[in-house]
Amino acid sequence: MSTSTIDQLRDAELSYRTTLVGGAVGAFLLIALLGLLFPSSIWASLLGIITSRSTLSSALRLSVPITFAALGGIFAEKSGVINIGLEGLLIISAFTAVITTAVIGPGTVIFTVPVVGVSLTAIWIGFFAGILVSVLFSAIFAVVCIRYKADQIIAGLAVWLIALGLAPFVSTVYYGGVNTENLGTSLGTWAIPVLSEIPFFGALFSAGPAVYMMLVAVPASWFILNRTAFGRHIRASGENPKALDTVGVDVSRVRYAGALLSGFLSGIGGSALSLGLGQFIGTNQTMVNGKGFIAIVAYLFGNYNPLGAFGASFLFAGLDAVQIRLQQVQGYTLPDSLIQTIPYITVIVILAFVGRTYIPSAAGEHYDSGEDNR
Amino acid sequence: MSARGGVKTVLRRLTDASVAERILISFAALVMATLIGAAIVLVSGRVATCQTAATTLFGVGFCYDPVDVYLVLFNGALGQPFLLDSPGLFNPNWNPLNFGLAFTLKETTLLIFTGLSVAVAFRAGLFNIGTQGQLVLGGLATALFAVFIAPFLPAGIIGGIILIPLAVLVGALVGGLYGAIPGALKAYSDANEVITTIMLNFIAAGIAKVLVSEFFRNPDSQVIETAPIPDWGTLLPVAFPKGSDFSILALVFGLALVVAVWYLLERTSFGYDLRTSGEQPEAAEYGGVDAKRTTVTSMFLSGALGGIGGAIWVLMVIGNWLTDVPSLGFDGITVSILAGNNPFGVIPAALLFGTLKSGSLAVQFQTGVPKQLVGVLRGLIILFVAMPEFFRMIGTSITPKRDREAVATDGGEHLSGGDDE
Repeated sequence: MSTSTIDQLRDAELSYRTTLVGGAVGAFLLIALLGLLFPSSIWASLLGIITSRSTLSSALRLSVPITFAALGGIFAEKSGVINIGLEGLLIISAFTAVITTAVIGPGTVIFTVPVVGVSLTAIWIGFFAGILVSVLFSAIFAVVCIRYKADQIIAGLAVWLIALGLAPFVSTVYYGGVNTENLGTSLGTWAIPVLSEIPFFGALFSAGPAVYMMLVAVPASWFILNRTAFGRHIRASGENPKALDTVGVDVSRVRYAGALLSGFLSGIGGSALSLGLGQFIGTNQTMVNGKGFIAIVAYLFGNYNPLGAFGASFLFAGLDAVQIRLQQVQGYTLPDSLIQTIPYITVIVILAFVGRTYIPSAAGEHYDSGEDNR
Repeated sequence: MSARGGVKTVLRRLTDASVAERILISFAALVMATLIGAAIVLVSGRVATCQTAATTLFGVGFCYDPVDVYLVLFNGALGQPFLLDSPGLFNPNWNPLNFGLAFTLKETTLLIFTGLSVAVAFRAGLFNIGTQGQLVLGGLATALFAVFIAPFLPAGIIGGIILIPLAVLVGALVGGLYGAIPGALKAYSDANEVITTIMLNFIAAGIAKVLVSEFFRNPDSQVIETAPIPDWGTLLPVAFPKGSDFSILALVFGLALVVAVWYLLERTSFGYDLRTSGEQPEAAEYGGVDAKRTTVTSMFLSGALGGIGGAIWVLMVIGNWLTDVPSLGFDGITVSILAGNNPFGVIPAALLFGTLKSGSLAVQFQTGVPKQLVGVLRGLIILFVAMPEFFRMIGTSITPKRDREAVATDGGEHLSGGDDE
């Protein structure tokens, strides 16, 4: 691909993202105007919902699994491994987190740090167990793709399908049903004094621990990817593995790191999803219900930039949060499944206009250093 | 090369591999998945609680016996022809036209359509993950059309002969048009079909649910479903027991479609264009193939086959349309991958998954092992089919040295990952 094509793509990306952001701001201003002009219309209710603190708080909560999976997807794909098994990683970590906590006993305190009085409870062991199993799954995926040169799309589908079968299977063995029992406890919220009193934005400071993790992980991922040697290796591995190989960096190792990071980050998202509720729901597509696929869309939307991916995740989660609240407004019942399709339709429309998203040029390809063969 | 190029390389590798090698890899994948499935059954047998251990290995009792599980699965899918308690003994009361076998064949029939759907797209170099959505909307169109047209037709067999083919056609058309959307997006704006088809699945489910719950809901029902199609307008069981939801007519239709698709792909100029644009897009363009049109047509065809799958599900199994459509479209991906995207390969692959699905009910009932085990097996099979290199390496390490040259030449292509060599 020549430089000018890349430039053209970048220009297209920029212009569509400007349009998108402009559109979102414009829509909000329109709603605000209509809401203020007609205080008893649906616009006023909508404005009330959008500007309410609880909507912000649930939008943040809902964006956690999508954002983490998207960050993981960025690291994997930037390194040259397309991981469409993110959905499966979310499922398996969500389930493991709950069942581990349940087996230990939800109320069990593992140890308490003296003096400070902070204690490690079973739910945190469950949280880490979820991450661990997700990393394990991504390791299998990585070996299959990198060592055994499997097609990444098919292997990713396999990861999704295995998780989709395995979590309800083990749940049925243990509980006799695809849904686990409710732990009776969840990760809870950590309110920061004073700051959490602020109207609207206070929701940022009275959130679950996973929301704080997300707010740290997004800029941290950006920094790692763009300002460190490791990030440079990841990007080179996906764009020009041969060059990376030439300077003496093991391409396979970088790709393993990228794939394992996708497992680690998705694991946080999955654990946070189920432990935030205190239960794993395994009916149909399970409680994950496509969030892993939305995550893929989110990072494509955000053009592989962690900040952009978070923006897109937050937009989707925000639409969902508004939709849930809108159901409670008297007199305006919109079919929820219609609103739930909005993020997907948006993606289709954007893709129709922009077409090819800018994927790392060596993503999906196998790389051999040549040492094994010659 | 892009990610799509990567997929293409693999596609080319899969289609280039000889049929014998494909069968060998699929068989090896099946064996590996079965072994790991057995391990999962054993381990979960330690977690489960039971009165008496089903099997004891190395002095440790396990609640589930994997050998027993597979025997029950196979036996159940065939409708209990063997008395497992006295091994090998044929069940004198066994009737081949039983519910178990009907269930197996019903699943097989449905999977033939969705497997073909995915295979056609695959052969054109397109990854259609959207068969599920095409099936959902095709099925809905079939159900609505049948309910709408039924009052204008004479009840009974004549009405059925008119209604059923028309309803299937409507399903195929709607499924095809829905499949053509990602095709057109791919052709005219280069949108990645993997992503658009996944998105369109969610959109189809949403649209269908809204349409039925807001406009076409059966007022007499608690769940979201359309009004029922009169019995004479559905595919009723022939030979197999009433209520088995399996009609041999549908299976025969499915097998005929397999032959038709094979003929289309291998013996017509359209099929040639489709295959070359899948295997060697540049060469196809150079040879005068209109790549854009081929992409849209292939996706239309793929979607139409998915739509027919939905139509048959409605006409043969459910008798109307309701939400919670089974994941037949996703299973179609599995079937097609296992079949190596060969239309004839779809038949044994669909039969295998039909057997697994049907047998899993007997497994859950008789051994207590949850039926979701089949979902795990499905994923494992896909995982192993995805890595032929794994089996090649095993093959290379166990064959004597002087035979290695041959292995290296027919399996050792693709030495380098870049397109620059």
